[in-house]
Amino acid sequence: MDEWKLNPAIKPHKKRSWYLAWKYKLMNQRTLRKLCQTGAVLFLLVTVIVNIKLILDTRRAAYEEEEESAQDYDDELLNVEVPRHPVSNKKVLDVEVYSSRSKVYVAVDGTTVLEDEAREQGRGIHVIVLNQATGHVMAKRVFDTYSPHEDEAMVLFLNMVARGRILIFTIKDEGSFHLKDTAKNVLKSLGSQVAPFLSWRDMWTFVGKKGGELYGEKHAKSPALSTWGDPVLLKTEVHLTSMEDAECHWPDTELNRRRKRFCSKVEGYGSVCSCKDPTPIEFNPDPLKDNKVFDVPVAVIAGNRPNYLYRMLRSLLSAQGVNPQMITVFIDGYYEEPMDVVELFGLSGIQHTPISIKNARVSQHYKASLTATFNLFPDAKFAVVLEEDLDISVDFFSFLSQSIHLLEEDESLYCISAWNDQGYEHTAEDPSLLYRVETMPGLGWVLRKSLYKDELEPKWPTPEKLWDWDMWMRMPEQRKGRECIIPDVSRSYHFGIVGLNMNGYFHEAYFKKHKFNTVPNVQLKNVESLRKDAYETEIHRLLGEAEVLDHSKNPCEDSFVPDTEGRVYVMFIRMEQEADFTTWTQLAKCLHIWDLDVRGNHKGLWRLFRKKNHFLVVGVPASPYSSKKPSSVTPIYMEPPAKEEGAVAVPAVAAAEQT
Amino acid sequence: MQKINKNVVLALLSLTSLVFLLFQLYYYKFYLSQKNGAVFSKVRGSQSGQDSTRWHVVRKFLGLIASHNIPVYLIDPLILGLVDKDIEQIKSSPDGPSPECKYFCAPRDFTTFALLDKTWRHEMGLFRTAEKMGFQWLKIINKDPRLDGMNDLSGIEIPLHYIFKLASHAIHLVVFYERSGNYLWHGPLRLKQHMDRKFVPFRKLHFGRYPGAYEKPELLLVSIDDLKVQIPKNPSNFLEEMSHSRFLECRYREARAFFQLYPDDASLDAVEFRKKAKSLLHLAALTLNNLGVKFWLSSGTCLGWYRQCNVIPHSKDVDLGVFIRDYKADIIPAFQKAGLPLKHKFGKVEDSLELSFQGEGDIKLDIFFFYEEDDHIWNGGTQAKSGKKFKYLFPKFTLCWTEFVELKVHVPCETLQYVEANYGPDWKVPVKTWDWKSSPSNVQYNGVWPVDEWDDVIQIY
Repeated sequence: MDEWKLNPAIKPHKKRSWYLAWKYKLMNQRTLRKLCQTGAVLFLLVTVIVNIKLILDTRRAAYEEEEESAQDYDDELLNVEVPRHPVSNKKVLDVEVYSSRSKVYVAVDGTTVLEDEAREQGRGIHVIVLNQATGHVMAKRVFDTYSPHEDEAMVLFLNMVARGRILIFTIKDEGSFHLKDTAKNVLKSLGSQVAPFLSWRDMWTFVGKKGGELYGEKHAKSPALSTWGDPVLLKTEVHLTSMEDAECHWPDTELNRRRKRFCSKVEGYGSVCSCKDPTPIEFNPDPLKDNKVFDVPVAVIAGNRPNYLYRMLRSLLSAQGVNPQMITVFIDGYYEEPMDVVELFGLSGIQHTPISIKNARVSQHYKASLTATFNLFPDAKFAVVLEEDLDISVDFFSFLSQSIHLLEEDESLYCISAWNDQGYEHTAEDPSLLYRVETMPGLGWVLRKSLYKDELEPKWPTPEKLWDWDMWMRMPEQRKGRECIIPDVSRSYHFGIVGLNMNGYFHEAYFKKHKFNTVPNVQLKNVESLRKDAYETEIHRLLGEAEVLDHSKNPCEDSFVPDTEGRVYVMFIRMEQEADFTTWTQLAKCLHIWDLDVRGNHKGLWRLFRKKNHFLVVGVPASPYSSKKPSSVTPIYMEPPAKEEGAVAVPAVAAAEQT
Repeated sequence: MQKINKNVVLALLSLTSLVFLLFQLYYYKFYLSQKNGAVFSKVRGSQSGQDSTRWHVVRKFLGLIASHNIPVYLIDPLILGLVDKDIEQIKSSPDGPSPECKYFCAPRDFTTFALLDKTWRHEMGLFRTAEKMGFQWLKIINKDPRLDGMNDLSGIEIPLHYIFKLASHAIHLVVFYERSGNYLWHGPLRLKQHMDRKFVPFRKLHFGRYPGAYEKPELLLVSIDDLKVQIPKNPSNFLEEMSHSRFLECRYREARAFFQLYPDDASLDAVEFRKKAKSLLHLAALTLNNLGVKFWLSSGTCLGWYRQCNVIPHSKDVDLGVFIRDYKADIIPAFQKAGLPLKHKFGKVEDSLELSFQGEGDIKLDIFFFYEEDDHIWNGGTQAKSGKKFKYLFPKFTLCWTEFVELKVHVPCETLQYVEANYGPDWKVPVKTWDWKSSPSNVQYNGVWPVDEWDDVIQIY
């Protein structure tokens, strides 16, 4: 405020008469002048203060704006979003379809969506389903209609596809040999004019809309039995419809939003996408009373078999006592469709970069999944491990809830498994009965965290070792003499037919006839007697009351076991030492149970059912239970057949197959 | 003449300032009311001293989450600070109506709540309801650190923060995750490129600058300002924890790079050693935590964490650091009680103290005590046979939380400086032969213990 006083050198301004008059007047009134001066000074002061405040405020505001974006709040990773192609408003798709003996391809708007020129595979009819509004590929299938029954699968699939979808067909190599009339009629109903006359080694391409127009069809007849028809190339245009028409009008709920997302992306899941009465995707099974496994994480190990995963998750989510929040699906590879399935059910899924090949890849996927599970659920003492090709019994969690405390308390246990390797339709009977076995069946099992963290994880087979994780887990170095608890009647069912170690023949022979429990709330009866010592007492009691069968008869014959029900029988087979399974393997073979390696044994004892009687097999003299053998009985010896020529080499593994 | 000048100047100045003032008042109102955001509310708040907007927003938010059955609890440090002062009164009158709005009406830009994960999954429904109620929301996601240690799982992002904004007030919802080591973790708040940087004044958020680690709190349902909220049962504990909650993630990527160069020792011996070292560390942590002694990973154990996120299999011992001011005489009996007998004790509380305990199977637990000086921190070493003293110098450091072998432990926040001081610039190269008297790059000769003190300062069992 001194400024103006100290500033005498300011030049006088041009005076004007009114100003001068006013000034002199003021000069004569000193008090008034003083007042004015103080007033002005005060005024100036206020201005300065307001000014400063304003500057501060605006600066702070500006500072905040800048600083909000300051470095430490920025993601260090530049997430450069790939600019999405604007949803093309184009109403027409150019479709190219090629069919020939050795190569097929389909291109939509210049993008190849199918190309198969691999030798010795991909024979048959390739089908592609496009979304009629977006043109996106919703499903891709190949049906080897050269082979039997594949046409039935194709009909099933085509029936599941929603009306209005665009269907593209093309044949590679041969697609007519087992294409029956039913299938031909279905194709005809889709608008194909050629399908009824398709014959040996014809080339054929067809684009149509389900329940609607035919967009194009080309056909080349095979001139002779030994030659193929000329390659055909179909170029056609498909008119897209509006999004509205392509969708169902379900009520707007959270569930239906998931359904809508799913159904606009993929095809081939049947009634889940029906506009009318779609099948539910939430199941709300009854909760379990006193559920001991409600907080146990469930890891679902999956590959790229989305249809399997769909079936598996349905059964899992329908099991009583399931807790969807604890379920994580681990997908081996960056496949979209399995992830779509996971999201349809509102579960969480994690994708895993494939490491290594074949069995080692599965092993690495298992390891990553188990580690991730225990990281995600640090409180968990156990994890339930499932695979994508299993049906889960309705009382799966009830079974675990009743038995899991054993795994916690009994150090001599290795796992609890829902699967009985020897539990076939004709050899399993009692859903309330549990066993202890020296083998690790897998296929739906419970792993103790301490076992994984302290023992298995640190020495898990590395990627370059082409080992099966389950075979590795069965090795004595890992198992250390510990046993698994299994039910007599399995709580899981293995339905996978395609897989790494799996094919139709193998499945038919070893898995199809497996017994699977469908009774809810089974009360397990001998849980406490499964502890290490109690089980021995139990076995001795059982052997004590068992009737010795007639060892002069052929054990493979049905008549070996009397036509009774609910009795306990025992037979003795020869077993020179602990690892001598010669007779057992032959017996297993003729009983049509698992014979590829030894499963389900406990100290040289096998327990199964025959004709609804409990049937015990004791290996003499290796088994400690040999003492129960009456001296008059000679253990049965069965010789392995002489080496057959060209014996079928079947992989001795069945637990870990994945594509 | 002078007088005339003075008056002229005065008049002119007054005139300009008047114009200026008018302009500024106009601008002030115009500019700031347009922003309509935090700044304005603050101005208004500071004028009235009360801000019922905030109370209303909080009430709406609590209604929103209650309608979706999402349990949240209040962790706003400013409110908890106030609550802590009246905690007895609040506890005693859980339902009584409060005469004045004491806590939720102080004008602030936001109120902070915490959410434990596990408890929800379908957030879309919540967002929809929130929008219907007039909230704008922002969700901040980032990589899941629980899976970060695994090289080949990717693309898994989890929500770390949510911000719900209504009018001039925002609710900051911090998501806590449970991690191995029995603790809760919240992530840092990092904006991605496309995000709205002006959504709220992010700088002023109380959580999110760094990730943080917390104990699982016990909760208490209270009614404050007529709102029912859950708060940590002991707010002052929580606030104390918050002040040093900063969490460092292990450098998983660098650790993987390290193992690419130097493949991990997967021999049975290594597996066995790691298992023992882990259980020894767990036991030591339990013992020291029970005593309330703050410790951190030091020397080789710290290097193992920093370089490879694991125990170095050839290190043969576990090393911990403790500030001498935290020393307690009970340490030795407590370890003995835990089954770890004292192996040797060098130095004394005043100088170069070091304790070694014998763990199971040849593994030694070394506890080094650190002495703080003005510009550095040091710990001492003693050679038993000669009585020689050594001194290891470190630059000053603070402590951060981290996770190591399923344990929440401290490490120096300035880990790199700490490790470099100890192991030199080549710490990335594994060294199997290590002499503690000469190998460390921060070792100094520190004289010899007087012979008459030897019995006291060199005790070997």
